[in-house]
Amino acid sequence: MKEITVIIRRDKLPETKKALDDLGYPSLTIQSVEGRGKQKGAMCAEMDTEMPDSYCTAVKLKPTPSTYALDHTLPKIALFVPKRLLTIVVPDDVVSTVVKSLIKVNQTGKAGDGKIFVSPIENAVRVRTGERNGEAIA
Amino acid sequence: MKMIRAFIRPEKEQEVVLALEGAGFPSLTKVPVFGRGKQKGLTVGPVHYDELPKVLIMTVVNDKDMDKVMKVIQDKARTGFIGDGKIFISPVENAYTVRTGEAGL
Repeated sequence: MKEITVIIRRDKLPETKKALDDLGYPSLTIQSVEGRGKQKGAMCAEMDTEMPDSYCTAVKLKPTPSTYALDHTLPKIALFVPKRLLTIVVPDDVVSTVVKSLIKVNQTGKAGDGKIFVSPIENAVRVRTGERNGEAIA
Repeated sequence: MKMIRAFIRPEKEQEVVLALEGAGFPSLTKVPVFGRGKQKGLTVGPVHYDELPKVLIMTVVNDKDMDKVMKVIQDKARTGFIGDGKIFISPVENAYTVRTGEAGL
């Protein structure tokens, strides 16, 4: 068994759920999280089409000695972007199919599309029946 | 790759995040959570708080960076009092960037 942790845009959730339904793995857990990536939480109209340009938090100024000084004297605030985190546990043999489908559905080509992590799960138990391992997620 | 999940004090969140950014690890996810530890919450006079607010910081790093990231979180999140939190490490086999579809961090 593998756990697929995928962080996606909020507006891609319905499509992602539909894609997982079609694959036959509809079970998932959804969390509302906030995160940041390589862009350090900066958001721009180029990254998020829903966002007006005035909300842009990315630094547009070129670094000059004065902006550098400003940057290092003012207390800096870490910015975060709201995202959805999905956790899906699937059998080993379908991991690549699910990952491909997740990438296909969530890809917009702009920064902020998210990440997918695949990690091992040692055991699973269905609480209602006490089934273990593969049976528990079948 | 390793996934690092750190439960820290909410008031230390900005400090930890900025320190990680400074150390070259800007990417992370945070979730506000409630939990309790060995002390089973907190009792102040007659009032007992069973679950206390914490922030869960989740980040995935390469194996060689794990110790460095743990050290940064430990340094910044530590106050020396009960309730500083825990750090959990778990294995991650693969990571993909959705934008490019490439494997790797």
